[in-house]
Amino acid sequence: MPSTPPEESAREGLFSFLSRRRFLKAGVVAGGAILGVGGGGLLALRGHAPSVKGLRALDAHEYRTLQSLVEAMLPKTDAVPIDPASMDLPRAFDAFLADEPKHNVEDLQKALVLIEFGPLVFEGRLTTFSRLAPAERAEHWRAWALSDNLLRRQVSIAMRKFLNLVYFDHQEVWPYIGYPGPSMMRSTAR
Amino acid sequence: MSGSIIDLSRQAPPDRIAAEVCIIGSGCGGGTAARLLAEAGHEVVVLEEGRDVIGAERTQRDGAMYDQLYMDRGGRATHDLSVSVLQGRVLGGGGVINASDVVPAPEGVLRHWAAKFGLEDFAPERFQVFQEAALDDLSASRIPEELVNLANDKLRQGATALGLRGEVMRHNRVGCRGLGTCLIGCPVHAKRSPRMVALPHAIRAGARIYTRTRAVKIDKASEELKEIKVRVLDPGGYHEHAELTVRARIVIVAANAIASAQLLLRSGVGNDHVGRNLTLQPQLPIIGIFDERIAAFDGVPQSYAVTEFEEEDNAEYGLWGYRIEGIMGTPGIVSTLLPLSGAEGMRAMAQYDRMAASLLLVPDAPSGQVQVARSGRLTIRYAQRRDHQERLRHAVENAAKIYLEAGAKEVLVPTLPPLTIRTAGDARRARELGFEPATAPLISAHQQGTVRFAAHERDGGADLDGRVYGTRDVYVFDSSGFPTSASSHTMTPIIAASRMLTSKLLTRI
Repeated sequence: MPSTPPEESAREGLFSFLSRRRFLKAGVVAGGAILGVGGGGLLALRGHAPSVKGLRALDAHEYRTLQSLVEAMLPKTDAVPIDPASMDLPRAFDAFLADEPKHNVEDLQKALVLIEFGPLVFEGRLTTFSRLAPAERAEHWRAWALSDNLLRRQVSIAMRKFLNLVYFDHQEVWPYIGYPGPSMMRSTAR
Repeated sequence: MSGSIIDLSRQAPPDRIAAEVCIIGSGCGGGTAARLLAEAGHEVVVLEEGRDVIGAERTQRDGAMYDQLYMDRGGRATHDLSVSVLQGRVLGGGGVINASDVVPAPEGVLRHWAAKFGLEDFAPERFQVFQEAALDDLSASRIPEELVNLANDKLRQGATALGLRGEVMRHNRVGCRGLGTCLIGCPVHAKRSPRMVALPHAIRAGARIYTRTRAVKIDKASEELKEIKVRVLDPGGYHEHAELTVRARIVIVAANAIASAQLLLRSGVGNDHVGRNLTLQPQLPIIGIFDERIAAFDGVPQSYAVTEFEEEDNAEYGLWGYRIEGIMGTPGIVSTLLPLSGAEGMRAMAQYDRMAASLLLVPDAPSGQVQVARSGRLTIRYAQRRDHQERLRHAVENAAKIYLEAGAKEVLVPTLPPLTIRTAGDARRARELGFEPATAPLISAHQQGTVRFAAHERDGGADLDGRVYGTRDVYVFDSSGFPTSASSHTMTPIIAASRMLTSKLLTRI
């Protein structure tokens, strides 16, 4: 092991923007509002999250938030009739995070808190993201991308960067978008 | 004596390595310098943070390749997430993951540099010989017509019908099979990148290349013998697990305009210019949707450029105006560039095989900055200027007209909110695009500046030999030194500049 502290703090990550001072400030303000106004009662809004075995970076609540997010971002549609739950993208996310520096993981965890309490923080509704009905959740998440609030747009972009990349890298999606797969794979199959 | 590629993540690293020359970065700048110095008989070591990913390991899959071939696993971006900053992290550097475009620095730019910044060695009559040598290194040729795919041909059809000047681009592929995944590595090594040309030459001449090594600090930069602190990464490149010191008399930093400045700043090396004057050349994708199948994912992704609006001798900045260039990526990366997720995003991606996309390449003024916090953390500060936004609006309007002329049923501008253009009249709506931060998927593939070459220390970070001011034999031989955008595609100018600077160094050592 290095005799001096690791220098991984120099490394950027997919969610490194989340660590910017501005985000932290906003995240802390939002988190503080949640905790300050409602204390444990509001945190209890999240309810119980079923335990998930084998997670390396996320806890059960974070995993559930990501599950809900995936349903909103990559829904089963007529165009692409695939249930994203079959891919377990939150677990892929967990595996990704397990190889990220600690500060990146912490930044993302703050973002997930913000997403979960988004209906409360940004719309004043006494509920959480995971408790919204699917149509409401989709509409709520759409508002993040189109928001005047830079922070919400940033979170939206970062989540899309990771989850979309992994989702559309899945072979079972390709027939629905007209992609025959990597050219070398095709030539091997012939 | 032949050198070698040594993956230190897979063996117990030594505590110390000694060499006459230590080169940090194995891309166009570093690879070229390594070759020339080793061939001249000098003892060279090269440090590369990435790994040697070759052949079947280049799987053409988004997830694995962005993870292994790009800096920060493909996630690097400016401070406010407005611009994705694409940078190679693999043996061979950016040359492994670029679009293989060969565009030498235009004469107008070189004259501008000589006149405005005193870079006499870059004057066209002096620099020409190095650009020609770079073209030889790259086996440069015009992309053959059979490799111009339908997507790029649509761009050409529309531009031609509108009377706009354009060209089939030059490239550095030999034996290209049109496999389509240039941006995530060619599995058959058709690109004549540093990995396939400069580095093999360097190794044959004795250079030792250490992969999975991250240079974190240069100590004793003003002394004869420098010490480079190096962290060895694990095989995946995720975590540091060991450290070592490289001792060298000459240090050449060629790690890209972001990483070179980052290393100098972390080392406390150089003057106040280090990190400043960053140009990103932010590019915006625009997508024509056709009724017919386009299959842009097959063939050369980028082969045709509309050059009508490009200006090569702007009095203030040299390269200016804009280009419109065909492009395509694999499904994962394309989906990340679309503006919305949810059902709208799925509907858009369902048209993937009917898309013909372009990048609107708009050169920018040197205005960004690389910063390093006390913790070591990197920040890339960049604010899009009004003049850039204005040219981008023009580019969107004209690109939309081109695709509509070529028969597109609609053109998607992936901004937030998204703009869909269905008629030439609609295209005027591009003039209303606001380009607020994080509302457009801007991409930077050509970072430059940050250690500007200048004849006097008051004007830049490195002298005309590439030596970082305030140091003894610590150099930058990459795009860090370019005072403004060298070219719409920086591979050729970087190789040429590295050749020129290395030839000067060889006269002194």
